Amino acid sequence: MTFSENFDVIVIGGGHAGTEAALAAARMGQKTLLLSHNIETLGQMSCNPSIGGIGKGHLVKEVDALGGAMAAAADEAGIQFRILNSSKGPAVRATRAQADRVLYRQAIRHRLESQPNLWLFQQGVDDLTLEGDRVTGVVTQLGIKFSARAVVLTAGTFLAGLAHVGSANFHAGRAGDPPSISLALRLREMKLPVGRLKTGTPPRIDGRSIDYSVMTEQLSDSPTPVFSFTGSAAQHPRQLPCWITHTNLRTHDIIRDGLDRSPLFSGVIEGVGPRYCPSIEDKVVRFSAKEAHQIFLEPEGLTTHEVYPNGISTSLPFDIQVELVHSIRGMEKAHITRPGYAIEYDYFDPRGLKSSLETKTIEGLFFAGQINGTTGYEEAAAQGLLAGINAALKTQNRDAWCPRRDEAYLGVLVDDLITRGVTEPYRMFTSRAEYRLQLREDNADLRLTETGRNLGVVDDARWTAFDTKREAIAREQDRLKTVWLSAKNSRPSAGAEEVLRVLGKPIERDYSLHELLRRPDVSYASLMTLPGAGEIVSDPLVADQVEIQAKYHGYIERQKDEVARNAHYEETRLPQDLDYATVLGLSAEAQQKLNQHKPETAGQAARISGITPAAISLLLVHVKRGFSAPKKRKTHEFNGMSR
Amino acid sequence: MGNNDIIAAIATPPGRGGIGIVRISGKNLQPVALKIIGCIPEPRYASLSRFLDESGRAIDQGIAIYFPSPHSYTGEDVLELQGHSGPAVTNLVLSCCLAAGARLAQPGEFTLRAFLNNKLDLAQAEGVADIIDASTGEAARCALRSLQGEFSTAIRTAVQALTNLRMRIEATLDFPEEEIDFSGQRDIYARLGAIQMQLEHILASARQGSLLREGVRVVLVGQPNVGKSSLMNQLAGEEAAIVTEVPGTTRDAIRQTIEIEGVPLYLVDTAGLRETDDAVEKIGIARTRSAIEKADLALLLIDDSLGVTPGDQSVLDSLPAGLPVIRVHNKIDLLNRLPHIKDCEGQPEIYLSAKTGAGVTLLRRKLLEMAGWQPHSMGEGIFMARHRHLQALTEAREYLKDAIGLAERGIQLELLAEELRLAQWALSSITGEFSADDLLGEIFSRFCIGK
Repeated sequence: MTFSENFDVIVIGGGHAGTEAALAAARMGQKTLLLSHNIETLGQMSCNPSIGGIGKGHLVKEVDALGGAMAAAADEAGIQFRILNSSKGPAVRATRAQADRVLYRQAIRHRLESQPNLWLFQQGVDDLTLEGDRVTGVVTQLGIKFSARAVVLTAGTFLAGLAHVGSANFHAGRAGDPPSISLALRLREMKLPVGRLKTGTPPRIDGRSIDYSVMTEQLSDSPTPVFSFTGSAAQHPRQLPCWITHTNLRTHDIIRDGLDRSPLFSGVIEGVGPRYCPSIEDKVVRFSAKEAHQIFLEPEGLTTHEVYPNGISTSLPFDIQVELVHSIRGMEKAHITRPGYAIEYDYFDPRGLKSSLETKTIEGLFFAGQINGTTGYEEAAAQGLLAGINAALKTQNRDAWCPRRDEAYLGVLVDDLITRGVTEPYRMFTSRAEYRLQLREDNADLRLTETGRNLGVVDDARWTAFDTKREAIAREQDRLKTVWLSAKNSRPSAGAEEVLRVLGKPIERDYSLHELLRRPDVSYASLMTLPGAGEIVSDPLVADQVEIQAKYHGYIERQKDEVARNAHYEETRLPQDLDYATVLGLSAEAQQKLNQHKPETAGQAARISGITPAAISLLLVHVKRGFSAPKKRKTHEFNGMSR
Repeated sequence: MGNNDIIAAIATPPGRGGIGIVRISGKNLQPVALKIIGCIPEPRYASLSRFLDESGRAIDQGIAIYFPSPHSYTGEDVLELQGHSGPAVTNLVLSCCLAAGARLAQPGEFTLRAFLNNKLDLAQAEGVADIIDASTGEAARCALRSLQGEFSTAIRTAVQALTNLRMRIEATLDFPEEEIDFSGQRDIYARLGAIQMQLEHILASARQGSLLREGVRVVLVGQPNVGKSSLMNQLAGEEAAIVTEVPGTTRDAIRQTIEIEGVPLYLVDTAGLRETDDAVEKIGIARTRSAIEKADLALLLIDDSLGVTPGDQSVLDSLPAGLPVIRVHNKIDLLNRLPHIKDCEGQPEIYLSAKTGAGVTLLRRKLLEMAGWQPHSMGEGIFMARHRHLQALTEAREYLKDAIGLAERGIQLELLAEELRLAQWALSSITGEFSADDLLGEIFSRFCIGK
């Protein structure tokens, strides 16, 4: 049957990508349908119960700045909050929360159910309907047809998922859920390039069987950090500690003895696992000199005893899992509640995507999350949000929004995926962002909320709060520029000893307070103690911004120059039907790579590995030549060419 | 990389010609023009100008012509500096342009800009791709040749040390929860210093340009009748050997200066080296010895009919280790041999006749090449390739200096990381791209990371 309602946007999958996509499209006023094989697991945290971390926290803040749900849900569900790298500079500080799985799911479900324009429906999807190269809707397992102008696919690890425990393996989306096999087959038929990746989880433990007295306790930071720009610590539930223990030589012996039965080492697993999140058997083999590996015991929630021992992800047979867990200090009597497993799944080569996350081959079809070869809730949520926004924009006949690398981690994430593809599950790190100093957690709202407002994903309450904060920052910055500290100590009337106390040395000329704040060893708070410096701003977040922006000023300006120098390439669009074999002078390797990638801009082309500056020059010449001979080519393809 | 930044290059062919032209192009050239010639010349008028270096000292005098956008070859602002010819002076002018804020143009970049700014007609435009293709191909080959031997090894060592340090710092930033001490603060400081020293060392020993400016010091080894003076006269050619007697030496013409294509060559004759009890002569010998210590290369002149004599051999053995030696087999006319050059275990051997002049061109070219200069080569030549490499190294050294400044003040690691990222980016023109993913790969292969 055909469902009676027509939708603008259909989102397949109710994980972190799917929920953000559906919420974003609905916030933009588009009639949106979220299809999930199980409404009970919407917003499920299928791996470790934590949100954020270095690079990942940055993404969560960006999603939040654009009105997304993840940070707010983490504030309602977080049972331990920490700021990582707090002793280092603001650009690399990141928030992380341990979340209660049940509370987190509830927080997401609540948002989905109360979101206007959003419909939920429980059915697995078997097929997509197409008209030519354009998607028109989906068909569910029961044969129900839904029509829509844009479809966002967020199938996670469910596409042809295969789980391994020792030599046993079974088809699964994740432990306990069925995989989407027919959809996977259908997508493979559509000539979308498919690869195989692997990820894993550790065995879960009953916390009552753990001896915490021999472990190191790790508490929340104080004051408790808050994730969302609109959140508060008052939303947090009761806080719980995490615990740290270690593997030992005996653990490693047990693992080595079981390697012959490990699917990872016997060659059964074909998919590539992440280098930064190796299984415990991988760690023991590759770093055999290391005598102990750290394990974080993360509580799964307030209403369960289950514990997630982060650090011993494994696909070894169950009997070895039991033995290795029992060899660990404090876990001698631990009861495993769920075996660890590795899971292999299909992903689509993200080089087949545009920077809007729309597929290049099927119009209106967007991919987000793990199917693009990424790992992590945060990476998934960020892509989901972007895909949801762009699916909505598509149905509104508006141009796609594609954040640049210097604007957001979201831009870095998508650009890395589409220009470089993946060879292992992609995870965000701050070192991936060349403009790291300007892509901070603390200014995610300043970078993105206005854009979000224009796109239609930022509601009035967030917008008003943001606008007030932004104005307060600007006001204080302007004020500091007009207050001068005189070398003769007249205005403001600071005595020489006061100047020495705050600045550490006398000043040789007049300085505005704003200039002085740029000095690395002068804080805003101390500067404000100078007589005549004026009133300190009351909002600590505003004070932070004023100080951070002053401290990073020179670096940010230099990065902006770098961005401006490359802007021309980012703005030069390349025709999608260009056959690179016809570009004079390009090496065969460059022709092949460019034909495979079909980059959207010269900037993207330049980031493809192996494409040289000379090749880019040749491309510019080729495109320009087409421009001077409009008869041969359609001119509209060259819109965006500057000069 | 950018499309509007200011580029500079030598526009006249390499070698000695009538004039040497350096061309600068970009959006808004005025600040650069002010630094180099102290004024903005009247558009399209030839004005006599002094070309100034960074400190405002005049390094040459010539004609400056300013073509404001859009009426110029590239369509951007263009400044042409026509100075005296000769590789040394023209390169000095170019260096001043670079110091004033221009960057070295990529091969074919002037033509590319002209094309992109609609300054070439369709017929000319047809050739643009070919020009870029050919000139980058040539540049790539020259770059490879520049990157050989110790120069290459030293760069690779420095780059590895830089990569290693970046790996440690980035790991500290991205993986704070690992129980690994990736880098102690003091350790970072020491490593930065070491890399800085390596870069300084490479730059100092490369002596690019300085050889052209200051000349090449050549030690001449050979027996009295082997034909040294004939060879010197032949080398200097039609430009007439400028024979200078260095005052203060006790023996005649121990040191002589000649010039090849504008590059000065200082010849030190080791014939004066012998055992003696004469106090005055001893002083002369000591001076010759110290001149040899500073030599850039040695020329061993051999009578092809006699071969290397024990006397030659003992002088050769006394030369500083690692000094390149060219073996010149003279008097091939007596043996009816043809002039040629061959490579004998990395040391060139040249067969020539100083009397007839046959084969002298080979020697001349080899000498200039070893001085870092290739006259009449296609494209920009190995000299410019080396120039690019040294520019990248200099740029990297500047970032490293800033990093050391930060480390001294105990400043945040992420700022240090930024300087190091830029240093590595500067070096990528030598080493090829080094992506963030490559860096992560280094981290993961070195340290056991991840929960």
